[in-house]
Amino acid sequence: MKKRFLSILLALGMVLSACSGGGQEAAQTPQDGGQTSPSEAAGPTELIVGAEQDPVGFDPHKVPAASSVRIYSLVYDSLTRLDSELNVIPGLAKKWSFSEDGKTITFELHEGVKFHNGRDMTAEDVKYSFERILNPDTGSIAKSYFSSIDTIEVPDPHTVVFKLKTPDSAFLANSSSAYASIVPKEVSDLNTEAVGTGPFMMEKVESGQYVLLKKNPDYFIEGEPGVDAIKFQIMKDEAERLAALRSGRIDIAQVSADFANLLKDTKGVAVKSYQSMEYSYLGINVNKKPFDDPRVRQAISYAVDRNAIAEVVWKGEAALTGPIAPAQTAWALDTGSYPSYQTNIEKAKELLKEAGYPNGFETVLETASTYPDMVETAQMLQQQLQQIGIKATISQLEWGNYIETWKSKDMTMLVGRNTSGIDPDRSMRFFFHTEGSANVWNYSNPQYDELVQKALEATDQAERKKLYDEAQKLLVEDAPNLFLASPKRFYAVSDKVEGFEPTAAGEVYALVKTSKKN
Amino acid sequence: MGRYIIQRLVSLIPIIFGISILVFTILHLVPGDPASIMLGTNATPEAIQALRASMGLDKPLVTQYLDWMGGLLIGDFGQSVHTGEPILPEILKRFTITLQLTLFATLVGWAIAIPVGILSAVRVHSPLDVIVRIVAMLGISVPNFAIGSLLLLILSLYFGWFPPIDVVHFWDDPAEAVKVFVLPAVTMGIVLAAGIMRMTRSAFLETLDKDFIRTARAKGNNQWKVVIGHALRNSAIPIITLAGMQIGYLLGGSVIVEQLFSIPGLGQYILDGIYQRDYPVVQGGVLFIALVFVLINLLVDIIYTWVDPRIKY
Repeated sequence: MKKRFLSILLALGMVLSACSGGGQEAAQTPQDGGQTSPSEAAGPTELIVGAEQDPVGFDPHKVPAASSVRIYSLVYDSLTRLDSELNVIPGLAKKWSFSEDGKTITFELHEGVKFHNGRDMTAEDVKYSFERILNPDTGSIAKSYFSSIDTIEVPDPHTVVFKLKTPDSAFLANSSSAYASIVPKEVSDLNTEAVGTGPFMMEKVESGQYVLLKKNPDYFIEGEPGVDAIKFQIMKDEAERLAALRSGRIDIAQVSADFANLLKDTKGVAVKSYQSMEYSYLGINVNKKPFDDPRVRQAISYAVDRNAIAEVVWKGEAALTGPIAPAQTAWALDTGSYPSYQTNIEKAKELLKEAGYPNGFETVLETASTYPDMVETAQMLQQQLQQIGIKATISQLEWGNYIETWKSKDMTMLVGRNTSGIDPDRSMRFFFHTEGSANVWNYSNPQYDELVQKALEATDQAERKKLYDEAQKLLVEDAPNLFLASPKRFYAVSDKVEGFEPTAAGEVYALVKTSKKN
Repeated sequence: MGRYIIQRLVSLIPIIFGISILVFTILHLVPGDPASIMLGTNATPEAIQALRASMGLDKPLVTQYLDWMGGLLIGDFGQSVHTGEPILPEILKRFTITLQLTLFATLVGWAIAIPVGILSAVRVHSPLDVIVRIVAMLGISVPNFAIGSLLLLILSLYFGWFPPIDVVHFWDDPAEAVKVFVLPAVTMGIVLAAGIMRMTRSAFLETLDKDFIRTARAKGNNQWKVVIGHALRNSAIPIITLAGMQIGYLLGGSVIVEQLFSIPGLGQYILDGIYQRDYPVVQGGVLFIALVFVLINLLVDIIYTWVDPRIKY
């Protein structure tokens, strides 16, 4: 009996293998699959976005991961928004006014805005949201954005008044952040229940697979959003996203400069790019020898060829940058105005000699192995520094380890990438003020501190600009960081998609304006 | 036999205990904690501290371990520190996906390997045998992500075909499930097949050289009767051992293929957990895989007794 069973099993195996096993299935299915249009199974206008990471929760006040932000930004609204030119425009607040001394801001809210659970959004929800952000127990990332808030008052259901300790010119821009989303006060766990006022409602989360958002039919902004549903399809491998896009399974995917190039001549797919707010940098621990001598840091700055980095690491698809990324056109200075940002090996050697290191020295360049661009940047810097006798060993750290090193304030030289943020206050005060939360370089210059604090409190735009110009020049001269290049970002977009115009203002802004042909 | 199985199951307890301590210690020794990884280089120290506290990471390590073990005893694997979701349902959900993928890949692997391996042994040193050996060598040497990428690229580029992107279970829609799993299964199956093919070939060669085979032939049995009726069963033990081990490895080690084809399996879940230092996820996931591994080995041992009655426990 057993023997017969075994022989049947084996015979079956033989037959299967004679049909060349799985190969046959692979060869047959293309025909079936080729005929299936991507929208066939889905609703009439469902936009499928290839997402490279699984979201890690949806609490807008607590979760800073980009994979989550791109989703919850569509579910929630903030008091203000940014337009494609990064100007602050009305969001949930239809208008606002400042008091004479700049210490009181009054927001007037849109009426009739509903949360996805059907309840009206009121000024009480705004107060609750900001109090939640400011509560240390929440662990909100935006808490430091709003440290100027003293009290929040609600004179009527559609008016919110913020009383500030000091004038805060970054307040409006910061309140457009998704981290400052307005949440309903009755929901206790925002991670499991995402209820906002935004253009889309959370429909289904299938961990590791997709997040499906459905259009909010009662959205308070007329004509938005343009599609009935957005599905974020998790596809971690870039080659897979590319293949899926080519074969019409997904509509939009963020791609690297290399892959954007590959797609240039693909039928049915357009590549769109924008100048991002990110920039790569070389961070220097100003307490460590020999970097405590500003001349050494200056020398390194003169030795670095930023154009070569933009060319090699970013394939020419990057702009040179100072402390504020060039996408912030209103604030960023042209790097041509910084003498030490022009490569000058002789000058670099001279400075090193003056500082007492005529033959250079040995040092370490730390970076994250997770991001190829960081590793390549470190390799370029290693070669360039060699020209002035600085022998740097590259130490590639795993991401968790890298963050620990960054936090430790004990790194030597660190290659990394930052986001400039929507207001210059972040690029300047957050990263380089003596008390700045992200100033891990031990940089401290009272003159600089005064400039950026004054700029924050300045109510006059021209005055503010002047102060930031001065602060940027000072920072570049002191060189606790060398700012390198600000890359472009690329989206590959199917030609069924209309109106998707990504800008530095963010994906969300582009997605709500997108529609799709069937 | 029953006693043997119970013995094996009881011996699981110290194994699980040992693994739990090992995983827990190693994970917590690795630099970087979930709070600072989540917040990245945007973090303020207060934010990190608050997040750590809300994740329960500010408690002493021993307390954290005991909390976790206490939960395990009542079947509670804890919650992900990142998403706050309970872990066990997620592990089970993803395991069913990995299991389907593994079984499909094994089927593909066997369907190729066993007949070809037998043929190769029967026609030893023939041109066919040489080709089979070269192909097997290639199959072992080429990493599966390369095979997978190639398959994906060729099919999408030249045939405009791409597998469905949402996972469908075999029991819900077999035809659609085959479409979902076929590429990853073939990718994994090719590598599997190479190993089993070589093992089948050498096991058969050894058996075909035995006296009882000569006797069988002398009795006038034809070639296939000898190979299937006499040699197969006697060559099965090493093949089964290898296959059992391979299934075990695949269940935990299909990460790269899962990543490549966006299959949300257990391997990917644990890998994400490692990147994010999501301690409970990694601990729970590794423990679960260890458990499955041990159970598969037990199953293999039981199959031995069925294939070869001389083996008794």
